[in-house]
Amino acid sequence: MRKNYGPIYVAPIAFWLIAFLSVPLLITLSYSFMEKGLYGGVELKFSLAAYKSLLNTAVLKVLLNTIVIAVASTAIMVALALPTAYYIARSPVKNLLLMLIIIPFWTNFLIRIYAWIAILGSNGLLNSFLISTGLLDEHIQFLYNRYAIILVIIYTTIPFAIFPLYSTIEKFDFSLIEAAMDLGASKFRALWLVMIPNIRSGITTAILFTFIPTFGNFAVPQLVGGTDSWMLGNLIVRELNITRNWPLASSISVVLTSVTMIGVLFFMRSQSKKEL
Amino acid sequence: MKSSQVTIENVSKRFGDFVALNNTSLTISKGGFYSLLGPSGCGKTTLLRIIGGFEMPSEGAVYFDGVNVLPLPPNKRHVNTIFQSYALFPHLTVFENVAFPLRLKKVANAEIKRAVEENLALVKMETESKKYPRQLSGGQKQRIAIARALINQPQVLLLDEPLSALDAKLRQHMLLELDAIHDKVGITFIYVTHDQAEALSVSDQVCVLNKGQIQQIGTPAEIYESPANEFVARFIGETNYIRGKVVAVTDAENAVFESPEYGKFNIWLDKKVQLGSSVALTVRPEKIRIAPGKPSNLPPDVNVLRGTVEDMIYTGFQTKYFVRVNGAKEPLIVFRQHVQYFMDEKPINWKDEVSVWWDTKDSFMVEVN
Amino acid sequence: MSKPGKFSLGVFLLVTLFLHIPLVILFISSFNSSKSMRWEGFSLKWYHELFYNSQPLWHSFYNSIIIAISSAVTATIIGSLGAIGLCWYNFKMKKAIQTLTFFPIILPEIIIGVSILIFFNKIGLNLSLLTVFLAHVTFNIPFVLMTVMARLEEFDFSIVEAAYDLGASELDMLLRILLPIAMPGIIAGLLLAVTLSLEDFVITFFVAGPGSSTLPLHIFSMIRFGVSPALNALSVVIIVGTALLAWSTKNLYSSLLKR
Ligand SMILES: Nc1ncnc2c1ncn2[C@@H]1O[C@H](COP(=O)(O)OP(=O)(O)O)[C@@H](O)[C@H]1O
Ligand SMILES: [Mg+2]
Repeated sequence: MRKNYGPIYVAPIAFWLIAFLSVPLLITLSYSFMEKGLYGGVELKFSLAAYKSLLNTAVLKVLLNTIVIAVASTAIMVALALPTAYYIARSPVKNLLLMLIIIPFWTNFLIRIYAWIAILGSNGLLNSFLISTGLLDEHIQFLYNRYAIILVIIYTTIPFAIFPLYSTIEKFDFSLIEAAMDLGASKFRALWLVMIPNIRSGITTAILFTFIPTFGNFAVPQLVGGTDSWMLGNLIVRELNITRNWPLASSISVVLTSVTMIGVLFFMRSQSKKEL
Repeated sequence: MKSSQVTIENVSKRFGDFVALNNTSLTISKGGFYSLLGPSGCGKTTLLRIIGGFEMPSEGAVYFDGVNVLPLPPNKRHVNTIFQSYALFPHLTVFENVAFPLRLKKVANAEIKRAVEENLALVKMETESKKYPRQLSGGQKQRIAIARALINQPQVLLLDEPLSALDAKLRQHMLLELDAIHDKVGITFIYVTHDQAEALSVSDQVCVLNKGQIQQIGTPAEIYESPANEFVARFIGETNYIRGKVVAVTDAENAVFESPEYGKFNIWLDKKVQLGSSVALTVRPEKIRIAPGKPSNLPPDVNVLRGTVEDMIYTGFQTKYFVRVNGAKEPLIVFRQHVQYFMDEKPINWKDEVSVWWDTKDSFMVEVN
Repeated sequence: MSKPGKFSLGVFLLVTLFLHIPLVILFISSFNSSKSMRWEGFSLKWYHELFYNSQPLWHSFYNSIIIAISSAVTATIIGSLGAIGLCWYNFKMKKAIQTLTFFPIILPEIIIGVSILIFFNKIGLNLSLLTVFLAHVTFNIPFVLMTVMARLEEFDFSIVEAAYDLGASELDMLLRILLPIAMPGIIAGLLLAVTLSLEDFVITFFVAGPGSSTLPLHIFSMIRFGVSPALNALSVVIIVGTALLAWSTKNLYSSLLKR
């Protein structure tokens, strides 16, 4: 018999991920149960103060706003992505159409956000256009609110809904639709009753892949959101860098991670059910 | 080439609580073509992998010519393996695949060229040496795998269901070719298969396995004609299986057998039994004759039963009849070869009353299990 | 086969236009001589400004390149070895390690950024290019791992056993069999890691220190300063650059697969 070299191959990756992922996550978790230090950091004393301050109305408002934005953006993205993916999957030039969706993502994430600032900002294209056509007398601000955040999140995240949906729809056997129509279903009912149940795993993947980055988003609200449309990510950054309440920043991170994990577990359960 | 004798002694293999091989012992003679035959999951691959050195037995020993090889890694055992999936290296040409073992040993280029060409010629693939595996058909990949496995001049070649990925026609052909290669190189072949026809047609010896347990070891004819137990009887070819008791011993070679379903008839004592003990008989379908009605001139020493044709499957060269004897749980299976279909065979149709008979020497007793 | 209907065509067009129009606007504006969004004539002055008057931007780009290459190479080595181990060997703790490798993919980036920042602070490591490098390797590893594993899974473990069987040592096997067949996956993983590293903003935001700002961080601060048409020019340059890179790597990759 030979020596088993598996552990040797895996040692570097295991070491690296434990050192730079597991340990940091555990430290963060432990920080959330400690008292805040004077200039950032923590006092090594057990305390639930951070979790208590999560119940503060200001924090709850941010949490609610985050949920509203995440749910709304996810719903809109999946609703738009479903027909889009369906159209691409049924087209004879699938790859070309996929390229059309991908190309905008070849540019930097921040520049994609910036494009909307250039359009919606008070000196932006939309303002110039409305003023030059006389529809508007003075510059108004379309940015720095919840709707701008949702719009830009959709703009930057929608491919994560389109791709998984595309790949499941592409594998779907469309003769089933014809069979259903042959049996008297209208086309819409046939798609709804036959295709949707069969591409459920694509739909869950699309929901998960859009919800997680939206829920933990920080760059978009930072750049196009206002003070009354903050999301949890902004709160974490403020507590970390400005207020320097690290236990609070950690406890918000724990909440964010937990929500993500619940989503992932839910997803894995639905996937394993599908295999039965 | 040099070949060796392989001895497996009390080898067991457990995966956790699961017993994949239970206390198996067998001896494979030098230069033989030895088959390990059994249904999928019975432990054939496990045994082969233990011989090859890819798996350590939980207990027991493996000897090559009397030397315990268990401490040796696969490449020190003078044994090579043909894998079920061929395991050709996809990034190397046919030539380089076959040359691979020699390259590792840093053999001189000229010598590599000579040896590779010789081995490619052995499997009739000289002309394909520049191709990549993906450009080859299944049968061709198989040949390359053989050429590659033989280049190190192993004393034992292990083949794990080497033909299972080929279609039926090609399988026949490759089997004959394997047999020819075996004759040419003269080393020990240990051949794993779940296909009884394959095992019977080329092997010197067959070992039938089930659930990690050896069922019978013998020549193909022994295994087929005189199966040791119900499992072997049913696994190797089709058979009729009749349970009952020995009720009287006529002489040293003959006895009377009584079955609740078929009544009394004479049997040949192919092994010793106690009077009154429960045994089972197998009678191969091709050993049973069939004729409509009550034929008058039957040969002596036959057992005759009467029944109704319940179903029949015509397959060209023969017809398979399912004959229900009154009161029997299962129909008897009878093959009738069509030697002179249109001339002197009386046609037998569905629902016909027929007689079936077989020579008393054509039934075999097997253990009840 | 029934054709997709007008409704799905309509949504598809809507989504495609929605994705492209903002970038078309940036493209046009990058040639606008005015600083505002009103068209006042064709000019290349923003490109001039981008290429000749933006030292900090180019410095951050230089940082980005250094980080992208070093972190991608490191992640590729670690991830490829890991893929070989996880794909083709069995050992204790395999499941645990596999689970661990999913985390950087499913966790929101901000969580990785925050926790690794807290970790660096705890062990007293000052933020610098080194901390950026360490963080980038961490989030790149799983992507390389997945890409290489996807490649390795196309093959059967029996080719490894065949190599042993034919006399290969572990090193022979690694160099003559595993690396060559995994190579397209390794290169794809490397390119993916370079891309992800060049693109990353969120994690870098937390772990970059003074002087170690990367291009995305620089763009971030430019945006916060207000709209600058040089950014329009930069986005055009990035799109064209990415297109060229994608096109040439696609060729490289398909030629590798054909070998
Ligand atoms: N590495 C392993 N771990 C656990 N069980 C195994 C392993 N290898 C084989 N087995 C089990 O041992 C039994 C025999 O397997 P195998 O020898 O491959 O059968 P076959 O006769 O089809 O070649 C099977 O039930 C299989 O599931
Ligand atoms: Mg097997």
